[in-house]
Amino acid sequence: MRIEAEIGRCEGHGMCAHVAPEVYALDDEGEVVLLHPDVPPELAAKAEAGARACPIAVLKVIR
Amino acid sequence: MTTMTGIPLYECDLFSDEAILDPYPHYAALREAGPIVLSTAHEVYAVPRYEAARAALAASDILVSGYGTGLNELVNTVAGENTLNSDGALHEHLRKVLSRDLAPKSLREITAGVQAQADALVDGLLSRRSFDAVADLAHALPLKVVPDLIGWPTEGRSRLLPFAAAAFDGFGPNDRAIQALPAVGEMFEYVAELAQSRSLAPGSMGANILAAEDAGEISSAQCPMLLADLLAPSLDTTISAISSAVLLFATFPDQWRLVRENPELIPAAVNEVVRLESPVRLFSRFAVQDWTFDGFTVPGGSRALVMYGAANRDERRYPDPDSFDVTRDNADHLGFGYGVHGCVGQGLARLEVHSLLRSLASRVASFEAGEPTWQVNNIVRSLSSLPVTIRPADR
Repeated sequence: MRIEAEIGRCEGHGMCAHVAPEVYALDDEGEVVLLHPDVPPELAAKAEAGARACPIAVLKVIR
Repeated sequence: MTTMTGIPLYECDLFSDEAILDPYPHYAALREAGPIVLSTAHEVYAVPRYEAARAALAASDILVSGYGTGLNELVNTVAGENTLNSDGALHEHLRKVLSRDLAPKSLREITAGVQAQADALVDGLLSRRSFDAVADLAHALPLKVVPDLIGWPTEGRSRLLPFAAAAFDGFGPNDRAIQALPAVGEMFEYVAELAQSRSLAPGSMGANILAAEDAGEISSAQCPMLLADLLAPSLDTTISAISSAVLLFATFPDQWRLVRENPELIPAAVNEVVRLESPVRLFSRFAVQDWTFDGFTVPGGSRALVMYGAANRDERRYPDPDSFDVTRDNADHLGFGYGVHGCVGQGLARLEVHSLLRSLASRVASFEAGEPTWQVNNIVRSLSSLPVTIRPADR
């Protein structure tokens, strides 16, 4: 499973990092950073929940 | 009963005074009926369940905003080029201009100031003990913070709330909407005059919209529309969330205790307030072609009504959906909409409500609420008054 971020549209609402800090962080510019673009299986559920929490649908789960 | 294509029908007026004041039984009946339900009263395809509503908002290339997001032809045809009623590249461009100043990163420098204003406000109310949570608390912080931030002239600020209420009423399908349209017209005159006279405070978000016009990023027609995008949704919605938070914490004192003991729950608590009493109840989209979910179809050429308030109480997504639980997995709620049109000002709204809840959590042990009164507005669910008595915390 992979996560793709449409970085250009990220506004830094931070819901992904709030839900799944193991998978997502915000950089100094307030843009999302994928800590594991290829998500290890043990973090899959977290990564998916964090992606779902993006209020403007910047994050996409690719299987 | 269903249509010939098997779409269930719902006959009740969803915008009567009674339905607005007590919408949740209608929402439950609509969810029960199906993922897509033809509202015969409003000739619109309601989308009341969570997964369908989320999918509808994600399908922004089929269920589009460019033909308006309201439920009457007048409001849908007069709306010009703003972020609410545009699609695709135009929308992305206009949104970029707005989001530069509204993104949480840009708000960092005002965070400490907003917290100080929230602290001062709550300190003032502590000595009064009894007050109106809407007028004295929920109005007070946004009106202190937002007009300065946008840079509205000091003169005439008393018009902002009536403008906003009218703008939301104007989206409806009824006489209430038509009666609001003159005031909506005045709101557009107000922002057009300000764009003309360049009279927004230097350094403000509004002044930056003017600068975007000067730089050729947006047209002189788009400039006042973006000012209206800043005006209309920036107050009532946050006011709704703050006053609903007080009512919910008064009604569920164990949840207030949890927040006081674990202030790190405040962001989830704000999500829970917005989930349970979603300030924006619904918006509509126009189907440029058939849109199908789970075998049910919104026919091309018709309108969909995406019901955030109904979706956020869908038992298929949120167990025991009517209960207020600040520890709930709720970050994916649709209270700010979802997708490319998701609320651009949610960072500012969160900042205001977080600040107030932090101030209250360290100072107020409990709330005792009197009889709440809800306002009647086509789109925004909000209290109009809430008498409350607070018990100060031992400090």
